[in-house]
Amino acid sequence: MSEDKKTFEYIPDDYEEQMLKRRQKARMKNERDDESFELNISSLMDILTIMLVFLLKSYATDPVNIIPSSELEIPRTTSHISPAATVSITVAKSSIVVDNQPVLIVKDGKVDASQKRGGEDGYFIVPLNKVLVAAAEKKRKLAAYNPTVKFEGIATLVMDKETPYRLLTEIMYTAGQAEFNKFKFAAIAGDPSKG
Amino acid sequence: MAKKRKKEAPRELNMKAAMNLILILIPLLLTSMEAVKIAVINVATPQIGPASVAQKPQDTPDEKPLKLTLALTDRGITVFAKDQVIENKDDPLGPTIPKIDGEEEDANGKMVEARVYDYDKLKEILVDIKSQHQAEENVIISAEPNIKYEYIIRIMDISRDTKEGKKKKTLFPNVVLSAGVA
Repeated sequence: MSEDKKTFEYIPDDYEEQMLKRRQKARMKNERDDESFELNISSLMDILTIMLVFLLKSYATDPVNIIPSSELEIPRTTSHISPAATVSITVAKSSIVVDNQPVLIVKDGKVDASQKRGGEDGYFIVPLNKVLVAAAEKKRKLAAYNPTVKFEGIATLVMDKETPYRLLTEIMYTAGQAEFNKFKFAAIAGDPSKG
Repeated sequence: MAKKRKKEAPRELNMKAAMNLILILIPLLLTSMEAVKIAVINVATPQIGPASVAQKPQDTPDEKPLKLTLALTDRGITVFAKDQVIENKDDPLGPTIPKIDGEEEDANGKMVEARVYDYDKLKEILVDIKSQHQAEENVIISAEPNIKYEYIIRIMDISRDTKEGKKKKTLFPNVVLSAGVA
């Protein structure tokens, strides 16, 4: 009873005015909050971070990075063996590249006779052999210092699908002379009969 | 008291900078990621390297070695087994598997009519040989100088394994490339 009395007693005269002011303040505060409204991007951030890690991982572990172009059309294969980190010999339509280093020019699927020991009929491509011997030497030096690395004489061959067999045998012979006698023929995984 | 509580309210981390970085990195990595999956085929050569790395042949069979050889020419595929040509009954002088009429991609990627290798027939013959020589896993592939790399890969694929229903059956996975057919 006495409490009720108290409440009634404490209502100030400018009650309505005060309420109005308070409401106005609240509205202003709301407006301020609207201005600095921020999107909650934590979940998006999570997705993106996972994606980034995944992409970085797949980027770092690809031993053979091939970008097919009109210069280098790689055939398809049904094989499922993964490529390994080895010396790579890339034979495009107009050049031969060893480990991203251009070595010599190819014209119409042929190496110029002057580049071969024994001329036109020769199998030994001199500049290619030189580079491969250096690459083998490098691998062997690495193997001497690092017991986990072994020189196994494996080379990965990435070739344009139009490359004639003759050039293939010349390259394999030349690589064989530089102690590379096992080859991995790289091709795009997929069934060739399905286009 | 009320003031203190206000200060303790969780504040959002400003991640705009990190977000920018990630949003730029992702397209970059996506574009540089290879769109195609690369697979390899292991191939050996006849031992022509220096003696230090030469290896002894693995198998020493009692009977005459099979020495299965596929020779690719412009006219078709000639199959040798035990140093003898497997003859084509219709054309004893021609290749074992002559080319057949079919379709092939030309330089512009269009399908045109051409003479193509009869892969089905080759598979048939290889399955037949495999059934007679279960332990054999080696095949020697040879070709004329002008035969394209594409066909060599294809022949290797055919000779590696075959599908029997859903089961995969290994044929001759160990490929040796030998010097060209003269």
